[in-house]
Amino acid sequence: MSRDGGADHRGRGRARGFLYDNGLGLAFGAAFVLAITGQAIAGRAEFNSELITDGLQPMGFLAYLTSSDFAVDVTENWQSEYLQFFLYISVTVWLVQRGSPESKPVDKAGPESDHDQLTGEHARPDSPRWAAARDWRQAVYSHSLGLVMGTVFLLCWFSQSVTGVASYNERQLRQLQDPIGWAEYLGRAEFWSRTLQNWQSELLAVASMAVLSIYLRQRGSPESKPVGASHSTTGVEG
Amino acid sequence: MLTGLVLAVTATACGSPHERRDDAHAAAVRFEQALGAGRTAVLCAALAPGTREEVEQSAEGPCDRAVERDKLPAGGAVRHVDVYGDQAQAVLEHDTVFLAHFDDGWKVTAAGCEPHGEEPYQCEIKGR
Repeated sequence: MSRDGGADHRGRGRARGFLYDNGLGLAFGAAFVLAITGQAIAGRAEFNSELITDGLQPMGFLAYLTSSDFAVDVTENWQSEYLQFFLYISVTVWLVQRGSPESKPVDKAGPESDHDQLTGEHARPDSPRWAAARDWRQAVYSHSLGLVMGTVFLLCWFSQSVTGVASYNERQLRQLQDPIGWAEYLGRAEFWSRTLQNWQSELLAVASMAVLSIYLRQRGSPESKPVGASHSTTGVEG
Repeated sequence: MLTGLVLAVTATACGSPHERRDDAHAAAVRFEQALGAGRTAVLCAALAPGTREEVEQSAEGPCDRAVERDKLPAGGAVRHVDVYGDQAQAVLEHDTVFLAHFDDGWKVTAAGCEPHGEEPYQCEIKGR
């Protein structure tokens, strides 16, 4: 094999290695782009159909992407997804589900010891630096995943309310009705209908995953117990 | 950050909210001036296509003759304007006017409107 051929082979190996090592993130990232593009196309068609019915000018694709109608539809789903993960991350510290791979062992409820969590004096040489710290940094880093998910949830929910009132008011004006303020919108049925219809589906998905994974298996999936694991085995992923 | 991004994108998409409000305000003022001066051609040109169509259909005649016959009340000065997306509402001293944005600017979709409780405004002229 020539030197060039060897370098080429190593290059291909590195490229294949990157794709293989990041397949989950890349595949879901690509699927996300396709799905949100499809949502924009379908959403614009539906919105334009309403405008045409009202005798108004249809909206271009770029204009629709920056419209409150599209933004509220996006953010109402985002907030509920981040709420789902925030709750799952936080609630599973304290609540367990016997037999579920989504739960930790039933005798481990709570924040656990420094020994179990590899924090403070139990931190290892390769532990993140803030895990070894004995001050506020350890406290912050110990909750960083939940804090970030919770913050993103609140930001998305706030965005839903801001874009939601704009979208609601645009419809109000089309129907020759007065617009309303942000605070009033927070008490309106539309805001809570958009919010709760997303929350209920996320909560149902989490509850069913926690319970179904006690009895059902998906060979090779880290979200499932090993196929041969007993139904009572808790906190073991395959 | 996310909210800022959403607001920034929305704001920069089709001019700033201030510019859009000023443009809608100017359209409402032009409409009232044409109404006051009896310039029916200008008045008809200021109407949204659907509204103009409705005016012509209900009068069974051309728009300028219809607006001349069914005189709208003078609205007076514009007190405030609300803009959401491509829709706007101008509240005048004696009238409320609804507008929508088209390629050639803001057009009046309804005028001569009176509030009607929780229901839509009742308007002298309006579109579909």
